[in-house]
Formats: sequence, C-alpha cells, structure tokens
Amino acid sequence: MSGSNEGTELKVTRLAELPRSIEPGRDLWPNIESKIKEIQAAAPEVSGASVIPPRRHRARLSWLAAAAMVASVAVGVWIGRSVLPAAGRGAAGTLATKSPPGFEAATEATAFDAAYVSDPRYQRQRAALLRSLPARLAELPPESRAKVLASLATIRKAKQDLESALGKDPGNALLQELLVDTYQDEMRVLTDVHDASEPGRGI
Amino acid sequence: MAHAAVEDTRVDWEAALVQRACAGDARAFERLYREHAGRVYGLCLRMTRDAQLAEDCTQDTFINAWRALPKFETRSSLSTWLHRIAVNVSLAKRRKVSVSPVEPLPEDTEEVRPDEWALETPVEVQEIESAIGGLPDGARDALVLHALYGYSHGEAAQMLGIAEGTCKAQLHRARKLLRERLNVEVS
Repeated sequence: MSGSNEGTELKVTRLAELPRSIEPGRDLWPNIESKIKEIQAAAPEVSGASVIPPRRHRARLSWLAAAAMVASVAVGVWIGRSVLPAAGRGAAGTLATKSPPGFEAATEATAFDAAYVSDPRYQRQRAALLRSLPARLAELPPESRAKVLASLATIRKAKQDLESALGKDPGNALLQELLVDTYQDEMRVLTDVHDASEPGRGI
Repeated sequence: MAHAAVEDTRVDWEAALVQRACAGDARAFERLYREHAGRVYGLCLRMTRDAQLAEDCTQDTFINAWRALPKFETRSSLSTWLHRIAVNVSLAKRRKVSVSPVEPLPEDTEEVRPDEWALETPVEVQEIESAIGGLPDGARDALVLHALYGYSHGEAAQMLGIAEGTCKAQLHRARKLLRERLNVEVS
C-alpha cells in the first residue's frame, strides 16, 4: 500500500495500534477549495451575511467603515481585556419593545460581549443598530426578515461556542481571530439591514 | 481528566468551526479539513488500496461534507460523520473501477466475544498493512472499520450497508486469513 506513514519498521501487538491517520502525498485542499468556490458561486445564498444583495457604493463604504471600526475595536479588546472593567449588558437591554419573534434570541448579548467588548464606540454603534433593528426588520418582507434573524441566531451561536472554547483555551489565537470575524459578521448584517431598509433602497 | 479537558476544547472549537463553515466560511472549513484529512485519507487508502483513488475519495468526502454540512448535527461526532461519507465515497469509487463483486457470506449468528485483535507476537506495521491490503474487499472493510478505527459491529455494518451478522462473518473471515498470512495467532 503506497502512501503509508514512515516508521514501517515499527512493530505492533494490536491492530488498534496501527496509525489511523495517514497524510496524503500532496495537499488536497486547493482542489477542494476550488470546488467549494464553484459550489458557492452556483448557490450564493449560503452565507448568513450573503442574504443581503450587493449594496451600492455608499453602503459598501459604510460596511467597510464598520468593519474597520470592529477591527480596531478588536485590537483594543485583546489588549485591554485584562485591564478594562467589564461593560454592562447595555446593548440588548435597550431594545425597543416591538420586536419580531426570535429577535431577542438572535441578538441577545453573550457573556463574551459583556466581558470583553468594552470599547464605547463599538458599544454605541451596536446598541444603535440593535435599537433600530426591530423597526428595520418590520419593513422587510417576511422571507428576508426570517433570513436575517436566522443569520443573527447563527452568529450568536458561533459567538457562544467560541466563548466557551476560549474559556478553556484563552490564549488560542485562532479562536480569537474567529471571534473577531464573528463580530465583524454581526456588524455587517446589522449595517446591511440598516442600509437596506432606508427609503429608496430594497433588500 | 486533563485529556478530557483537551478533548472538550477540541470539540467546542470544532463546533464553532462547523458553525462558521455552515455560514459559508471556507477558511473555517479548511481548519476542519486539516484536522481530519489524515484520518479520512487513511480510511480511504485502506479501503481502496490505491493512493490516487484514495486522494480522489478524500477530496470527494470533503466536498460532499461541505454540501451536506447544514444537515450535520453538531452534537454528533464530526469524525464519525466524515468517516460515513468517506466509506460511501470509497465504496462507490471502488465499484466503478472494479468489476469483481463482493462475495456474499452467510451471516454469523454466533455470539462474538469482545475482540482485541491482539497479535500473539509483535509484527511489523508494513507486514500487517500488507496483509490487510491483501484481504478480500468485504473482509478488509469490516476489519478496518472495526479493528483499526474502533467502530462497533453495528456501526461498521451500518456504514457498509450490510447486516450486522454479515459484518461479523466478514470479521471472522478476516481473522482467519490474517492468521494464515501473518502466521501468528490473532485473538
């Protein structure tokens, strides 16, 4: 059998001792990635963030601004997490009372939000977007609204999972990177919904 | 206990990556690929006995997994789920390139004792791999899933789409053939 691991002179006394993992002779990921891109191109509505159609230039700038802000916040978050006091759960608590079903579950602040995201600019921006979200959602067609809520719920679940994993492995750079990505995803969805429901725009 | 904590972290991490991959994040899926590719390839290689075919099977396994990821239950094992896909892909590929059908075996209705698949004397890895590779397809499939990858008779049978009794019969046959080829007792 070709392609087996090195160290074949090793002896074993049980079949379970044979290596389960054998590395392929070449990196298979590029081909897989290429195929995945084809699949994504054929079915663009896979991503939670992609439920919103392409924006106009101004909306793009607004998203880029939000992403840049979150990225800069993230740096501050990781540097300041050990010295800044924990922020309160202000964002979700300031929501308007008329919210669509599933709204609270999808947007509720996680423990991680409260404990780590202490940058006031980020908090203000997120709180403002969340405050206006119920009204913005109400202006969307039911199908789009459901997709947005599902996206936000997915993002929240990802944040919870990452928070849980970071609790056990706080120094894990990948987890931190993924968490920042998740914050960016959330901000992107919130900003897109905000922009899409402005007069003269559609979703 | 420490091992359990590490395992928990791995699983939590994996769940987060699955969530992100479900949302269309190919980079998260790449992390999952890097974590599981070796085991998937190892399984495919042992089932197909052909490195090129095994690479194709591994690629198809992860492409199929990407398509089906939204259906994956995060409470179950991603590893097992990937192995199920890998077995299906390998069986299908093997059917395409081979015309020899898997010979049917009568179901083994005897109570099978807990088996260790222990060798009476130590044997070189290459020699065992070679002996396993020379087994008939059905016996090798059952042996690889059960003795190497640790799946129960029922799980292995389900993955292979055969009755549990047939799986036990294939294992019985595999043990007998391994004894003959390795010239050691396999208990």
